[in-house]
Amino acid sequence: MRPITFVVTAAMLMTLTVSTAGGQEPSYSRKGADSCLSCHEEDSVFALFRGTHANPTDPNGPFGHGQLQCEACHGPTGDHAGRVRRGQERPPPGAVFGSGSVTPVDVQNGLCLECHQSDTGFGWHGNDHDINDIACADCHTSHAARDPVLMTSTQADVCFECHRQQRTQSLKPYAHPIRQGKMDCSACHSNHGETSEWQFARQTLNDTCFDCHAEKRGPYLWEHAPVVEDCGNCHDPHGSNHPGMLAMRGPMLCQSCHSQSGHPSLPADGDGLPDGIPSQYMLGQNCLNCHTQSHGSNHPSGSRLMR
Amino acid sequence: MRRNNTLGATIAAALLTPIAALAQVDTSEWNCEYCPFEDGYRAEVDAGVAYVSEDAARFGNGTGLDEKGAEVVLGGDGRYLKDGTEVTWYAEDLGIDSRALEISVGKPGKFEVGLGYRELPYRLFDTTATVFSPSASETLALPSDWVTSGTTSGFTALDASLAPQNIEIDRQILEFGATYLPTSKVKLYADYRRHERDGVRIMSGSSFTQSAYLPRPVDDYTDQVDAGVRFSAGSFNLALAYYGSFYGNKVDSLTWDNPFTTEPDHGQGRTAVEPDNKFHQFSLSGIYRATTFNTVVAFSAAMGRGEQDAGLFPYTINPILVSSPLPAASLDGQVDTSNYALTITSRPHKRANVRLSYRYDERDNQTPMSLWTRVITDTFPTGGGEANIPYSFERSRLNLSATLRLFDTVSVSGGYDRTDLDRDYQEVAEQTEDTGWGKVRWRPTANLEATFKGGASTRDIENYDTDLALVFGQNPLMRKYNLAYRYREFGEVSLSASMSERPLSIGMTYLYADDSYSRSELGITESNEDRFTVDFSWAVSEATSVYLNAGTESIDAIQLGSETFSGPVWEASHDDDFIHYGGGFRITAMSDKLDLTLDYTHSDGETEILFAGQSVSTIPLPELESTMDSLRLSLRYELSDRFDAHVGIRYEHLDTADWALNGVQEDTIPSILTMGANLHDHDVWVVGIGFRYKIGADAE
Repeated sequence: MRPITFVVTAAMLMTLTVSTAGGQEPSYSRKGADSCLSCHEEDSVFALFRGTHANPTDPNGPFGHGQLQCEACHGPTGDHAGRVRRGQERPPPGAVFGSGSVTPVDVQNGLCLECHQSDTGFGWHGNDHDINDIACADCHTSHAARDPVLMTSTQADVCFECHRQQRTQSLKPYAHPIRQGKMDCSACHSNHGETSEWQFARQTLNDTCFDCHAEKRGPYLWEHAPVVEDCGNCHDPHGSNHPGMLAMRGPMLCQSCHSQSGHPSLPADGDGLPDGIPSQYMLGQNCLNCHTQSHGSNHPSGSRLMR
Repeated sequence: MRRNNTLGATIAAALLTPIAALAQVDTSEWNCEYCPFEDGYRAEVDAGVAYVSEDAARFGNGTGLDEKGAEVVLGGDGRYLKDGTEVTWYAEDLGIDSRALEISVGKPGKFEVGLGYRELPYRLFDTTATVFSPSASETLALPSDWVTSGTTSGFTALDASLAPQNIEIDRQILEFGATYLPTSKVKLYADYRRHERDGVRIMSGSSFTQSAYLPRPVDDYTDQVDAGVRFSAGSFNLALAYYGSFYGNKVDSLTWDNPFTTEPDHGQGRTAVEPDNKFHQFSLSGIYRATTFNTVVAFSAAMGRGEQDAGLFPYTINPILVSSPLPAASLDGQVDTSNYALTITSRPHKRANVRLSYRYDERDNQTPMSLWTRVITDTFPTGGGEANIPYSFERSRLNLSATLRLFDTVSVSGGYDRTDLDRDYQEVAEQTEDTGWGKVRWRPTANLEATFKGGASTRDIENYDTDLALVFGQNPLMRKYNLAYRYREFGEVSLSASMSERPLSIGMTYLYADDSYSRSELGITESNEDRFTVDFSWAVSEATSVYLNAGTESIDAIQLGSETFSGPVWEASHDDDFIHYGGGFRITAMSDKLDLTLDYTHSDGETEILFAGQSVSTIPLPELESTMDSLRLSLRYELSDRFDAHVGIRYEHLDTADWALNGVQEDTIPSILTMGANLHDHDVWVVGIGFRYKIGADAE
């Protein structure tokens, strides 16, 4: 953390005109990180030194020359690290991070944003996570060689701690390879904000889908109207009971919008099963048995999405 | 964690040091003697083998473990740190089709360059077969001894002609990115990604009343570029960015022999495939943080253009059919997009905050319209002209919300949202949706929180243009569900609790949404969703934790249909249910040497569709079902400071029932030559053993 930046934030936070107990100003420890580490010998604390925050050659990092080490993030801990009388409760450190912490979320996040304002904190202010009081440490683990939320194989488990519905959906028979650990939530969502709806990684839902499915972007000669407006009209991208993550089983999904003259909208009932009169309208790929170009056609004879 | 203003102010103050004092923090004796900084090289390398017990396409989807046999498992991660230069790398599943590799080099706070490569296997069927050859080519021919017939039952050469053809696609993703920070306030970045796909998927080739499943090749790529600059100064952040996406398809078209006839006027078919396209977008976004009422103003403005101008094929491949000349040799397709957003959040009082956001999205399709005289399925000309329709729309969304903390333990929120949609060439040109909602959050203690939310919305339409519906040949009573009038009620209850003395927590959420399309005579008339989830976790000790989770989801819908181009004749009631539950534990450092992890998940998806009506069969549709049990057991034993042994066992059972596939062989449907496909059903064991070797300081 850059001392000058910390000073600015300190000044901002001082607008909260509240004095500390006894009116004394909090003090820093006498020996910095050595004061902390002489007591905190837990593996979870020392894991910090395997990660990027504990890089003494990063001039802007907490352990860069002249920086405040542990207290760059945890605040002044002079009282916490100092001697306490027998029977006296040890004062808490300046800031404790994560779920259950007594340190308010905005204070926690303010400390992180000191250094991360211009990158990951760029779109944070006012976004859905910020509005709902989510702390950086609710998702991020800074005391680790690799932060689980920054790894594709483990990110979803972190998100699912709050987004439990999406975990349920990701386990459905047809879903993106989230449960296999081969795709992460941030492939589609910009978790630090931006101004898009649902914090999509791109401006709109469709733009986000086109990141991996650019072949469906077109524009096609023959467009399918609900496709160009919203992929979610037909697909449930978090998972579905139906192939292709469709919101409903075909042909009924198509029949929700199409009841065409000369092309009767027949009920897909039991008569059409292989034991009866096998129906071209319901078995196999149902409507797509003929209308295979459901996302649009670029063939001059493709107006019915059959070419 | 939730805000508590009084406590927050106290702690914030405790964190602060007066400017003069802070500037005088003497760190000269902060020697960090106990700090085990990494210096030099540290890595952990994994190597082993895994055995997969059976072939199973769906198990291989995502994992790459779709074939029976042994696989080499390689992976690991490492870090090199010297004189301010940091190199990190990470590798996963290098011996498998789901491999991933990342490496980055940089000086923290100055620059970083990264390179990544990933593969993502998509596996659908490994029980499919085709009569076409060469399979997965652009020109699919029938065997020389193929016997045509008007129905599949007459395909006497079918069995002898079938050759296996898996339906699978491999996606390779190459990424290269660089970040440079010339000053602490400026960040420059550029990222390039290339997605390449190759494989086979099913496409159908129709000859009007008949059709054949075609094993079409997938061989395409997408190049993407993100580049920009971010600037921060005091209360301002600004970003200027460019996004480019360039799709290229190495497959031009798909041509196939018609298996149903050899008549010269429609013995072949040809379809276009996805054309090359490109998209450019520039955006400017920013944030201003005002001290007045802690107000934050965020905005973004993006303008983009998509283009597609691939050459068009003639109306038909069959030369004997007389067809008109095309009105254009290529589409000259162009779509302009505009996206603007403004969000203002403010806290005018320590107990209140308000938020206003507005968003506008436009898709303006500038593609020229022409009259096209199609030849239906390469079989017969229509004779009449038909215009292509370039769909455009404008969508704006306004959201207003406010939260007031009534007491230290209770806050209330409310909001109003309005969405306006304007479209071209669709049955509904103007559509609005108004939503009102309220929320109460109760937090009696730091370890208990309950939230109750409810609301309603009305999606109204100015006019459903039935004349236009008739032009498209649609039943004028049909109301497409994304265009129809809809009234929705929704609610949510969530509860989270933890014990102050024990690291134990529980969380539950229940959501429902009830939709009524009361003005629709045909189509979806009502639907509702119920979702419930529950989580439990307990950190028994620093080395041991257990968890349980479960969830259910029910989606019901009523649909009315007509096969007589009149009022509703049949009704379909859909009942989609899904349930899952699971649990597991982690135990680390047993006897200082053993780590043990177990995860188990059971899931069950069922869909029941019941039809009713005068002309409906008395034979019900069987339920669609998918039941999965998944177990993962991982064990690590420390052999020495540098050597660990690993044993991993993975089991997955999948059992499905699907009337769309069950019993559908290649010639089951008289008018459709399919590729067959067995139901997904597998019991796969994966047993792996491996070793981890630690290099460098980490083992010391």
